[in-house]
Amino acid sequence: MTASPLFFSDATPDRIDAALASDGLWLSYGACRVRVRAEASGFARILQDVYGAFPFQDQGEFADFHVRLERGRGLRRLVKPQVRFSIDGVEPFEPFPVSNALPLFEWGVNWCFGQRFNQYVLLHAGVLGLNGRALVMPAVPGSGKSTLTAALMLSGFRLLSDEFGVLRPMDGRLLPMLKPVALKNESIEVIRRFAPDARMGPVFAGTRKGDVAHLAPNAESVAELDCELAPALVLFPRWEAGAALSLLPQAPEQAFARLAFNSFNYGLLGARSFNAVADLVERSQCYQLVYSRLDEALDCIRCLMTDEDV
Amino acid sequence: MPGNKAHWHLLSLLRDVDHVRRMTLADWDLTLRLARQARLLGTIAHRVAANSVLWRLVPPEVQGHLCSALVYADHRARMVRLELGALASVIPSSVPVVLLKGAAYVAEAQPFAAGRLPGDVDIMVPRDRLDEVEHALLDAGWKFESVDDYDQQYYRQWSHELPPMRYPGHALEVDLHHTITPVTSRTRADTGLLFRDVRAVTASRYLVLSPADQIVHAVIHLFQDSELDVRLRDLVDIDALLRAYMQADADWCQLATRAQCHGASGLLAYALKYCGLWLGTPVREVVAPPMGLACRGMDWLMSATMLPHDPDTVPGLKRRMGGWAAQVRYHRLRMPPGLLIRHLSTKMGRQLAHAVRFRAASKVRDTGAGQRQPGG
Repeated sequence: MTASPLFFSDATPDRIDAALASDGLWLSYGACRVRVRAEASGFARILQDVYGAFPFQDQGEFADFHVRLERGRGLRRLVKPQVRFSIDGVEPFEPFPVSNALPLFEWGVNWCFGQRFNQYVLLHAGVLGLNGRALVMPAVPGSGKSTLTAALMLSGFRLLSDEFGVLRPMDGRLLPMLKPVALKNESIEVIRRFAPDARMGPVFAGTRKGDVAHLAPNAESVAELDCELAPALVLFPRWEAGAALSLLPQAPEQAFARLAFNSFNYGLLGARSFNAVADLVERSQCYQLVYSRLDEALDCIRCLMTDEDV
Repeated sequence: MPGNKAHWHLLSLLRDVDHVRRMTLADWDLTLRLARQARLLGTIAHRVAANSVLWRLVPPEVQGHLCSALVYADHRARMVRLELGALASVIPSSVPVVLLKGAAYVAEAQPFAAGRLPGDVDIMVPRDRLDEVEHALLDAGWKFESVDDYDQQYYRQWSHELPPMRYPGHALEVDLHHTITPVTSRTRADTGLLFRDVRAVTASRYLVLSPADQIVHAVIHLFQDSELDVRLRDLVDIDALLRAYMQADADWCQLATRAQCHGASGLLAYALKYCGLWLGTPVREVVAPPMGLACRGMDWLMSATMLPHDPDTVPGLKRRMGGWAAQVRYHRLRMPPGLLIRHLSTKMGRQLAHAVRFRAASKVRDTGAGQRQPGG
C-alpha cells in the first residue's frame, strides 16, 4: 500500500471510493467531525473537488455523526437510481436522484448539526475572519450573504462558515463550521467572473433551491480549522440593483433581534442564547450594508475590519 | 449482563457513572450513538455532569454531546411545564387531574428525572369526568392527531386513553387517560385505589400517584403496554423510582401489596429481576421470582429487544425474531383473541387501502428534488 495522502486533492478517486465503501472517511469541519460511508458512483470525484484542501483521513477514533449515503432499494437501484442519506438509521430527507449525492450530503450534514449541536447557539450566518477577529453576517433571504461570503474568502479573508454562525455561550467565541459554500442561481456566475480560478464543484440544476454549485474552501481557511475567533463586526448585508453603497449603524437591540430571530436554535437554549447573543452585539460594531457592486462592498468591509475610517 | 461489548459500556454507565474512568474516546463513540437511540443520553449526561471529577475525565468532544443533550432535555421539560400550565387553565377546576410518568417527574422536579427526555404529556382523570375534560380541551383548541374513525372508536372502546391530542403549534401531545391499563387486558389496575391514594403537587392543581403506584404503573407500562423495542429507558425509569422511593422494608412490602391489588405481581417480579441484573438496582425479594419456561422465554425476549442496536450492523436473526415475538406478545396481552383478529384485520385492510392511495399520490409528488429545512 502506498503512503496515505495528506489531503483530498492528493488522493486518487479510487482511493477515496475504497475508503467510502469500507470504513469511511472522517471529515473535520472544525466544530464537528463527520464519518461518511457511501455507495454512489461519481461521489468520490465531486467530494475531491469541493473538499480538496481538507485533510484526507480514512481512519478515526471518533466522529460526531456517522452518516451514510446509500443507493435506493429494490427496483430503484436500476430505474431512475436514487441516493438516500441516513444517520444511525434515521433518514431525515426523501431520496435524491443519484447524481445529486453532494447536495444531499451537504444538506444532511447541516441537518445533523442543526439538530444535535445545541451546546452552541447556531446562528444562521456566514462567519469570516481577518486579523484574528470575526465578522458575522446574518442571512436574510436575498441578502446575497453566500455571494459576499464567497467573495470575501477569495479576497484574503479566512472562511469559518457560510451557513452556521457557531457561537459558544461559555466565552462568546465563534467556531468554524467550514463547509463548501453553496452558491445558488445567479451567484454561481457572479463568483466565476469574480475569481475564474476558484475551485468549484459541478452545477446541480433544479434542486429545491434552484441551481446549486459548491465553492471549495481554500487551504488558508482549512489550515485554521482548530482556531476560534472573538467577534468584532456584525454586518447585515442587502443587495439592491443599482444602489449606492451605504452603511447604516444598527442599534444593539435591533441587531440583537435580527440575530436571534435568524437562529436555528435560539428558543431551545433559553436564557443561554439570550445572554450569548446580547454579549455578541455588545462586543461588536453592528451595521447594515446596502450595496450593488461587489468590489465596493468588499473594500468597505475590509476597512471596517481593520478599523480604518469609512 | 446481556448484549455485546458496546452494550456493556452503556449498561455499566447506567449502573454506576464511575465507569466513565474506564472509557476511551473510541468507547464513547459508539456509546453516544447507542445512548441517543435509547433516549438515555440526557440522563447519562446529567449523572456525569453532577460529578465534577468525572466530568473532567470526559473528552471535550464528548462533553459537547452531553451538554447538548442536557440543553435539549431542559427545553423539553420547559415544554412540559408550558403544556401543564395551558391545560391547568382549561380543565374545569373541580376535576382531579393526575399526572403520569414524565409529566409527574417534571412537575415534582424529581432529581432522578434531570436530563430525562419527556415524550408526551400523560394525564389521568376519573372516567366519569372524561367527556367533560375532552370537550373542554376541544373547545379550547386542542385537536385529535388522528381523525381516523376506526382509531377513534378503538381508543374509546378498548383503550385506557383517548387518541393523542395536540394544540396546534405546541411541541407536545397530550394523552388523556382514565386508567393505567387497557380495559381489555388481563392485568386490570384498581382505578379506585389509584385515585384514593394520590398526593398533591406543591403549589399546583395537579396530583400524582402514590410512590408505589408510580412504580407499578411504570412496570405495567413497560411489560404490558409496549412492544419492548429499545425500551431500556423504561427500565431505567423503574430503577430510578425504586432507588428514590424504596428505603425501608415497609416500602417494599407496600409495593408488593400494591402490585397484587393491580394484578401486576408477575410483571413486578420481572421488573425487579431485570433492574437488579442489568442496572444493579438494590432490590428485595418481595414477590416470588419468575421461574420456568415463561421466565426463560422472557430472558430471551428482553435481551433480544430491549437494548439499542449497533447502527453499523444489520439486525441479526435474534433481534428480528425477538421484535416479532414481542409484537405477538403485546397484542396477546392486550386483547382477547377474537377482538385481536378483528382489530388486526381491520388495521391491515386500512393499511392496504392507504398504501394504494399513497402510491397514487406519490406519483404526483415524485417530481420535486427534495424536502425542507436547513439550507446550504
